[in-house]
Amino acid sequence: MFTVKIEEVIEHNEKYSTIIFDRSFRAYPGQFIMLHVFGLEEIPLSLSSENSVTVKAVGETTKYLVKIKPGTRVGIKGPLGNPFSPTSGKALIIAAGIGAAPLAFLHKFLKKYAEEVSVIYAARSYDDLIFLESFGECRVATEDGSYGEQGTVFDLVYSEDLEEYDKIYACGPEIVLRGLYNYFKELGMEKNVEMSLERYMKCGIGVCGSCVIGNGMRVCVEGPVFNCADIVW
Amino acid sequence: MEESLLEVEVAGLKMRNPIILASGILGSYASSLNRISEHAGAVISKSVGVEEVEGYKNPVVVNYSHGIINAIGLSSPGAVKFAEELKAYKGSAPLIVSVFGSSPEDFVEVISHFPFASAFELNLSCPHSEKYGLTVGSDPDLVKEIVKNAKKATNKPVFAKISANVDVVEVGKAVEEGGADGIVAINTVKGMRIDIFTKKAILSNISGGVSGSAIKPIAIKCVWDLYEELEIPIIGSGGATTWRDIIEFMLAGASAVEVGSVMYYSLRAIYSLKESLIAYARMVNCKLEELIGAAHG
Repeated sequence: MFTVKIEEVIEHNEKYSTIIFDRSFRAYPGQFIMLHVFGLEEIPLSLSSENSVTVKAVGETTKYLVKIKPGTRVGIKGPLGNPFSPTSGKALIIAAGIGAAPLAFLHKFLKKYAEEVSVIYAARSYDDLIFLESFGECRVATEDGSYGEQGTVFDLVYSEDLEEYDKIYACGPEIVLRGLYNYFKELGMEKNVEMSLERYMKCGIGVCGSCVIGNGMRVCVEGPVFNCADIVW
Repeated sequence: MEESLLEVEVAGLKMRNPIILASGILGSYASSLNRISEHAGAVISKSVGVEEVEGYKNPVVVNYSHGIINAIGLSSPGAVKFAEELKAYKGSAPLIVSVFGSSPEDFVEVISHFPFASAFELNLSCPHSEKYGLTVGSDPDLVKEIVKNAKKATNKPVFAKISANVDVVEVGKAVEEGGADGIVAINTVKGMRIDIFTKKAILSNISGGVSGSAIKPIAIKCVWDLYEELEIPIIGSGGATTWRDIIEFMLAGASAVEVGSVMYYSLRAIYSLKESLIAYARMVNCKLEELIGAAHG
């Protein structure tokens, strides 16, 4: 563990902030850090760039984090875990809610290396679509219809010609990933799909065993990004 | 064939090699234990008590230059739920269930929920719990009582894991007098880390238990002293990271050796240790069993 200073906090709205650190990490899209707010908790957060995390205010620690003052020192373990594997071909990014954070990092990366990057971006409401600018052109849906089509991520995915893509990347709430996992399995496409999973995590470094999935893989070390074919739900 | 050079037997528990996965490391789910059992001599599940325990809030683990420090706080779903989980254990190595409690009755009750266990390890040594572990493991009379009752509760081997933060020979003798089939030495050693910029303790519980290679010389000495004084077999534990460490523990008197923190470096560690031990056994042309206590005059 080491500490870094918070350089800047971009408050997107009441619920979301991007927290920029005073140094960049040697990190790849999909990797995460354990971020320790002294006096509160240490929590896993996906990197939204080499030097930032994007946080949604949910619990005590994240509520504090979205309002954290620049100059504050926080503890860091990481970058941890396995990143997304890039493609030089056609990529599709499927982002749901705050799951868009690691995918925004990936999007920037693939812009340089992939032939083409398309994005499907869905959330509950317009307020939850904080990466619209970062993704640029994308197909968008909101559950309340406040922006883009009214519907869910599934509506967009079902109407997409998935065969067209060499690689598909997804991140979002467990219920979304599970639905996508079943859909891709049905289509026999799971080998082309990578998903970033979220699990209750304690140590973040592979020893405590809190985050293991059905086949004994650890989300913090072998994950958080898994090829769909390696996931057992 | 050559894997047979590594076979050991501790209190009737046959193991294909002396490497045991220590409690608290990747032992909360059957799925991870199944995976680790592929190469281990035996695996030990995360300590379980009668009731559910939430444990401390994060951070509960921090690394340092020679291993890790943890204060998880014996978090556990409780005996009934955990027994359901461990029923899914299908591993190829014996499953040892680690048990904690605050009284002899607690230990007896927990043991009764795990009839499928190959053996039990009594946690008398966790250094960061207010009610359990070292709190009961520092009192030799209570230790003896706990072991005695646990032995009555099962016909499987019962091992007691003790701390280096006590007089190991005094507590070790209590374990032996209580009738334990073996003794495990040592658990993590009390320790802590402070961040120099925020000037605050890092772990939420302030202090925790130190593991990793830094504590190995302490553990070797404890095993050595116990071997001199006790008749029952000893399982070494504390910082074993390389295959040389396993040999060193055995020479000091350990019949088998637990590893835990080494998993921080690699999940393949047990496989790698096992392969290296085979090479060593071939080189010195002996069965590892013959090395137990061989450094004593």
